[in-house]
This record gives sequence, C-alpha cells and structure tokens, in this order.
Amino acid sequence: MLNYLIKRFLLIIPTFLGITLVVFTITRMVPGGPIEKMITEMQLAQGDGKASMTSAVAGSTLSDEQLQELKEFYGFDKPILVSYWEWLKKVVQFDLGRSTRYNDPVWDTIKSKMPVSIFYGITTMILTYLVCIPLGVAKAIRHGGIFDNLSSILVFIGYAIPGYVVGILLVWFFAFKYEIFPMGGFTGDEFEELSLAAQIWDITYHAILPLIAYMLGSFALMTFIMKNSLMDNLAADYVRTAMAKGLSFPRAVIGHAFRNSFIPLATHLGNSISVLVAGSFLIEKIFNIDGIGLLGFEALVEKDYPVVMGLLVITAMLTLIGNILSDICVAIVDPRVKFQGVKK
Amino acid sequence: MIRLSPLTKKKITRFKSIRRSYWSAIILLFLLFSSCFAELLINNRALIVKYQGEYYFPTYGDMIPGKTFGMDYEYETNYRKLKLTFKEKNSGNWVLMPPVPYNAYENDFIEGEYPPYEPSLASGHFLGTDTAGRDIVARLFYGFRIAIWFSMILLVINYAVGVSIGALMGFWGGWFDLISQRIIEIWSNIPFLYIVMILSSIVVPKFWMLIVLMAIFGWMGMTWYLRTSTYKEKAREYVMASRALGASPLRIIFKHILPNSISVIITFIPFSIAAGITSLTSLDYLGFGLPPPTPSWGELLSQGTENMESQWILISVVTAMVTILALVTFIGEGIREAFDPKRHTVYR
Repeated sequence: MLNYLIKRFLLIIPTFLGITLVVFTITRMVPGGPIEKMITEMQLAQGDGKASMTSAVAGSTLSDEQLQELKEFYGFDKPILVSYWEWLKKVVQFDLGRSTRYNDPVWDTIKSKMPVSIFYGITTMILTYLVCIPLGVAKAIRHGGIFDNLSSILVFIGYAIPGYVVGILLVWFFAFKYEIFPMGGFTGDEFEELSLAAQIWDITYHAILPLIAYMLGSFALMTFIMKNSLMDNLAADYVRTAMAKGLSFPRAVIGHAFRNSFIPLATHLGNSISVLVAGSFLIEKIFNIDGIGLLGFEALVEKDYPVVMGLLVITAMLTLIGNILSDICVAIVDPRVKFQGVKK
Repeated sequence: MIRLSPLTKKKITRFKSIRRSYWSAIILLFLLFSSCFAELLINNRALIVKYQGEYYFPTYGDMIPGKTFGMDYEYETNYRKLKLTFKEKNSGNWVLMPPVPYNAYENDFIEGEYPPYEPSLASGHFLGTDTAGRDIVARLFYGFRIAIWFSMILLVINYAVGVSIGALMGFWGGWFDLISQRIIEIWSNIPFLYIVMILSSIVVPKFWMLIVLMAIFGWMGMTWYLRTSTYKEKAREYVMASRALGASPLRIIFKHILPNSISVIITFIPFSIAAGITSLTSLDYLGFGLPPPTPSWGELLSQGTENMESQWILISVVTAMVTILALVTFIGEGIREAFDPKRHTVYR
C-alpha cells in the first residue's frame, strides 16, 4: 500500500510538468499576447490623441528598444524552454507571478475568489449527499414501483440538461418573470450594513437558484450509484442469510446492506478537494457570481497568461492529488482493496 | 438479413420491454429520419408548383428564377407571394408549400415592426421569430439536424481512436500502458475551451474543423473503460488459446477481445451523443462554435437570455433541448438495463 502510494505521488511530477509545459508552449505561440495588446492600445491612444504625429513615429508606435524592454518584462525574449524553467522555479517557491491585466499577484487574485467557490462547492456537495443517499435508498427498496419510475424520469431529465441551461430557465422564471429571487450576484447591494442574521439570509436568498443549477448535474450520478450498489447488496447472499436467521427486512437493510453500499460513494470523496477552486463559469456568468470560473474564463479571453497558468497549476495539482485521495478513501472503507504496484 | 445471436435477441426484447426507452428510441429515430428530409417540411421553396399545365418541384436542385412563373424578376421565386398571386388570378395554377413555409436563413420582416415577432398561426411562424426575423421552428429543426449529426460523427471518431488506444493499453500493458496513461492525463487537463478560443481568433471554425478539434480533445474518455475490460478479457482462456494458435495481437484484439467488450462501448453511446450535443450548444452559446448564420441551439439560447421579454425564444429552445436530451438519455438508460445481465432478487 505504502509503496503504491509513493509510486503514485512520484508519478504526479511528470504529469504535472507535462500539463504545464504543453499549455505554457501554447500561450507562447499564440498571437494576441500582452505585448501585441499593448501595441494596439498605444496605437489607439495615439490615433485619437491630440499630439500631432509626424509620419515617422506613427509608422511604428514603439521603438525597437521599447519593444525589447517589454519582451524582457514579460519574459518573451528567451526560448520557450528557458522561460518555462524560470517560471517553474518561481512556481516551486509558490510565486505564480503577476496578472498582466491588473498587475496584482496571481495568487492573491485566486485567493480572493476562493470563498465563493468553497461556499458553492461545499454546499452543493453536502446537499447532493443529503438528497441523493435517501433518494437512492428509497428507489432501491421500491425498485420497479411508481415512485422509482417517476423519480427516475425526473432525475434523468435533470441529468440530461446542462446546469447552465437550467440556470437560464430559473433566472427567467423566478427572477425575471415573477421576481421571487434576485437576478444574480453573490450578495445584495447593502450587504455590509445588514445584521449577521440578515447577512446569512441574504447569501442564502442569492444562493438558492445557482445551487439548484449546480446540483442537478451530480444528482443523477450519486442517486444511481447509491441505488445500484444497495440493490447489489440486497440481492447478496449475506442478506439472505441474515433474513433466513430471522431478521426483519428493514433491519437487514439498515444493519447489513446499508453500510456496504456506501463503498462506491467513497470513490468520489477524494476529488472533493477540488471544491477549493470549483465553479462552472457558465453558471457563474448567468448568475453574475464573481468566482473562479469567471476569473479563468476572463483570463482566457483577455489572454492574461499568468492567471491562466496559475489556475492551471492549482486545478491540476488538486485533481491529481484528489485522484490519489480517492484511492486511499476506497482502501480505508473497503478492507478487501489492496494495491500492488501499478493498478491493473 | 443479419442473423442475430440469441443473446442479442434477448437484449432487444429486454430493451423493448422498457417502455419509456423503447418509445424514446422510436420518437428519436422518427425525428432523425424526418430531419434528413427537412427541406420538404420546412422550406421557403414550394413542394410542387403547377404552372400552365406543367409541374415543377423546386425543393432540390437549382433555383428557379421568377420569370419562369410569369413574375417580373430574374432572382429566385418567392413562392409564398407566388401562391397568393396564383390564388388571386384563379387560373388553374397552384403552389403547394411545405407545412412551415420558411427557410432557416431567411429574414422575414413585417413592415413597421421590429423583430423578434411573436408566435402566430396566421403568419406561419408557429414559434415566432428570432431577433433577426428568422423563423424559430426552422432554426430549431435545422439546428437539431446539424447538432445530432455533428455529435454522431464526433462519436464515431472519438470511439474509433479511444477504443483502439484503450484496447492496446490493456493488451500490451507495461510501459506502453504507463506512458499512455500519463499522456492521457496530460491531454485531458489541457483546457479545451482555451484551444478553441485561440483557434477561432485565427480562423473561423467550420463544421469539419470543429469536429476534428473536438475529437482531438475528446477521445480520452473511452480509453479507460476499454483498458480495464481488455485487462479482464486478456486473462481469460480463449485469448490464451488463440495466442497459442498463432493469432497476431491485432487479430486477437479486434476479433476476440473487442466483440466481448462491446457492451461497454454500446452502453456509453447515448450518453456520448447527449454530451456531444451539449458541448456544441455550449460552444455556440459562447460564440466559439459554428459561424453564424448557421442555425444553432446555442445561438438561440444566447438570444433568449439577452431578450428575456421575448420569452418564446427561450421557451422554444429550452423545450427542444430538454426533449431531445431526455429522449437520448432515456434510450441510454434502457440500453444499459438491457445489457446488464444482473437480475436482482430481493428476499423480503
């Protein structure tokens, strides 16, 4: 087990290097980077500026020296591998550089959006488990009945539609048409002046619609994992034995089948560390929530490479570690699981 | 006629016995079939024109200039007007229009009013028009045709690549497996949207280019399942037997292992189709998908979000999406059950 884990952790290194190197290379090769952006901005500024330009200067707005300085400033003057190595050295020291848009440290920018992500991530996770486990159990026990069929239809429809489409529909119906819930935002405008109780209510009030949109996707998966694994266990020999020695059906379910059915759910537990940077930018865009997803999308659109790379570093690390954590979780819950060498 | 094995027959019977999935499959096949003839159902060209004793079928083929039917212009005939003119003259000439007499690209403006126009039976815009005065029924139906074919072609490419590589990973194992795993891990962590945005800033993505692009970043999903199931199958006697008989690795994989892991592949198909439709719609919604004026659900969705007071746009496109995606998912549910040999016996 320990050997296996050490091997897995060591394999993170080449994977991480691969991911960052590929994206780093792409950012370098793509037109429209920060320097070109700056040049266009300058041309625009001079174009409508009052200064009468002589034609010699208007031709190229930046002298070669200035251009060279800019390239040095952004580290564009060196070959890709050299500047990647310099970037990597900084990352290992937890320095993600500065945003080319706002000139703030990337890490601070990401950190400032984290509370929103954590709030939505954790609430979605807790609510999903709270609803899916009982629902899955109820569906397994009444398998084939009307309740099972009807809830299956609903759950599958919810699974089929992407969360942001549900979001659009919710905003249109509850916020635009009937004005029951706010159009968006994480908090209201007068959030600072409210009392604590009112603040909590304000966040909840704003969070209800986005939470529904977030939950619908993971809903079906969890419910059906729970349902199927409980059904497998209900049909297992040990439940039959328990019933044969005189246990009632409910007691056999609660005392025996129930605990074993949680094992498959544990496979998803490890990846929950990704809630730190969770957030679908489509949902955030629709509900006007200023979170990580929106930050990443805007950084991509604006070609703010340090932020793009910074987010990539964090999400990649969290997913890679999360995968290993999931394996550990499974091994803890299910003593039959033993890892040897590379998993086959 | 293909001879079906008894096992396949059993699976089909089982699928048919799940009513919800069976009916979803029939409805979807019907829609798919009729979308092949969308030009006959939703079009601004007439189905049949009878003019001076002769019959014309303008739907397919070159455009017929207005002069042919006694109108005074050289460009394509406006069949809706032609129909009215023929009716007024009442000289035995007639025009038969499709049920929805509009084309997905055609802007139909009402004088003195700005689009989007509300749904109305009189104008023939059964679901209204979008902000450019284009008929929503036409946009939805042609959009459906593009989206579903898009995702089916994408599926074939993704599965062909993913299945081959996954099977090889499972079959060869060892270093090949380890290195491919790392490559796939790296590849699936590259933000796909990023690449699409970069490319769309250089060139306008066409249908095939977008498919290839999405396939480059979409084949990884199937590899994991195939890898696991090949590992399982490889350890069984029939593989050892055919190896002893001297079969080449490729023959063992494609003739023996793949047919035995086909159920893994088939159960994922409907969900991949739904995912393909969804991702094309999301890309179009963001404006990085197929170039306008291609009819697309994503574009209608973004119009609907921006014009919430014209609620017919949003309601139509969301209903269409929910219907199609739910049908596909129901089929997937049925296939999964039909392929699952487990019968749960509960002792109560």
